[in-house]
Amino acid sequence: MKAASEMRDLANRLIAYEGGAGNGSEPMGSPTLRVYEKLRQSLGEFVGVAGFQSLATRALTLARPEAPSLSAALVTADGALKGLGKTENRFDNGSDLAGEGGVILIARLLGLLRIFIGEALTLSLLRNAWPGEVFDDRNSENGRKA
Amino acid sequence: MSTQDKVTINKLPTGVPGLDEIVGGGLPEFSFNIIAGAPGSGKTTLAHQFVFANASLERPALYFTVLGESAIKMLRYQQQYTFFDPAKLPGSIRFINLSQVVLEKDLGAVLEEITKEVEKANPSVVVVDSFRTMVRKPNSDMDLQSFIQRLALFLASWQATTFLIGEYAEDELRDNPIFTVADGLFWLRQTAERNSIVRKLQIIKMRGQDSVPGLHTFRITDAGVQAFSRTFGLTARKRNPPSNRRLCFGIPELDKMLDGGVREGDSVLIAGSSGTGKSVLATQFIAEGISHGEPGIVAVFEERPEAYAERATSLGLDLETPQKDGKLTILYLRPLDLSVDETMQSILDAVENIGAKRLVIDSLAGFEMALSPGFRADFRESLYRMIFALTGIGVTILSTVEVDESFTEFPFSTYSISFLCDDILRLRYVSIDGQLRKIMVVIKMRGGNHAKDIREYEITSTGVVILGKRLTEYQGLISGIPVHSNGSDTTERL
Repeated sequence: MKAASEMRDLANRLIAYEGGAGNGSEPMGSPTLRVYEKLRQSLGEFVGVAGFQSLATRALTLARPEAPSLSAALVTADGALKGLGKTENRFDNGSDLAGEGGVILIARLLGLLRIFIGEALTLSLLRNAWPGEVFDDRNSENGRKA
Repeated sequence: MSTQDKVTINKLPTGVPGLDEIVGGGLPEFSFNIIAGAPGSGKTTLAHQFVFANASLERPALYFTVLGESAIKMLRYQQQYTFFDPAKLPGSIRFINLSQVVLEKDLGAVLEEITKEVEKANPSVVVVDSFRTMVRKPNSDMDLQSFIQRLALFLASWQATTFLIGEYAEDELRDNPIFTVADGLFWLRQTAERNSIVRKLQIIKMRGQDSVPGLHTFRITDAGVQAFSRTFGLTARKRNPPSNRRLCFGIPELDKMLDGGVREGDSVLIAGSSGTGKSVLATQFIAEGISHGEPGIVAVFEERPEAYAERATSLGLDLETPQKDGKLTILYLRPLDLSVDETMQSILDAVENIGAKRLVIDSLAGFEMALSPGFRADFRESLYRMIFALTGIGVTILSTVEVDESFTEFPFSTYSISFLCDDILRLRYVSIDGQLRKIMVVIKMRGGNHAKDIREYEITSTGVVILGKRLTEYQGLISGIPVHSNGSDTTERL
């Protein structure tokens, strides 16, 4: 079963936003990693480190079959994501396969949140970490409301 | 010190229907409260309701979760309640997980973390769920009492109203130093009685204001916790002065027997065995009131409202139109595990909604059966409170009760509740001339010169009709087997 298209769309928008706002030379220069870290920070506050680590590990497990580029990725005990940076750089250089892995992972993570706490609450939490324009319908690939 | 010199303690809405009245008008602002009870008793839901009712962007709520239910599952389940407003998260309500600090550090670090977040957010409400899990943490540099003491002091100084949630058993209440720190102590109980679950809450302590003592029933529905005060929320309302106005049944001969009708604000009991026409009389009483512009409530337990209205139609009484016009509410109260207080709340809400003047409870036996077994033991006491509360606000109550027909006794009811009733009308079968006929007699009428006559009646297509004059030619009518005054047996001989 693939990550739901709405979640992929949302993940794409978050990554695109971070891609536009970020500086590639920073340690967290990868847009996907920046999205992941923001989620880790905002979700970690209320689910705890262990809670986030469990969710992220599950998301990675679900994402791997769809994205072989994630085979080297792992979630550490403190919830950090390792082994994605290299492939992300390839994505920055034009490799679609690696970039798609990041999108799928974030989409899976968002999808898990939606399953557990519903769409309204998921979006409320995301809106706290990203500006409203990211969730604007006009920025949506498929035109659906996020 | 004069009243104007005293500090005013603001009262915050609890967000729990019925609870504001129980705690004395609302929760004192800046108070430090503990919600205690067994797992599953509704502690977290109650705290959530308070949080959602009071948190704002300017003065948010901080909800610290410790060990126990994970925040993500808590949100998953709590959002099923109608009070849960996702738009309040995370701006007005922030959930902060402290499990890592609790697991890796000591209580001092927990206090430090809470202090840091409170100073940063300036919250109006702080919840720690569940602080009890911290008690079990060994080798802490700070004991729990000291932790609670310092936390209470700090949060009060920061003008936060606080709830600590903890799992406690009944026997832990005594001599527990933690409870001495609290300004308010809420105890939630959930007990199994035979096949039923009964939930009750008690305000063991509420500094600075009068809470309603005793155990109050509460229920958890999709709207969250709803509490039912033992005083039915009527403590602030004045009792109406006694009225001399008479309310008729619309049955001329019966109204004459009642010296013009029952007195407004009376509690009337119609007692009789099955088929004697108790419900018919009750329906006529309600219909007559509606025809005089007096809205009514019928609480039925033994048949559905549609069937009740249909039966009225067969008597030529229209109960459909007044229901549509908001002049009549037929309440069907038959969920399992009902408490009298919940029934009362439904009735009071209906009375308030339509300004009801007449109330029919049909029947007390059905009412009792709808109650949880645990509440049946207190049925008389509950009835007393209910009748006192309703008649006090001017509602005239007519209750029906089925009694076992006996040919040796003449009981008024099986509940020994006649002392609760101002007026009693007794219906019964008698065997006369080979027929099972019906008689009625007014047994008691407080403040009225009622007729002493025993009258025969029939149930016709237009309702109860009283026949002829009083039955003077028979003796022993109330035994059910009368003897003709000329000495002949009235029963048919085969």
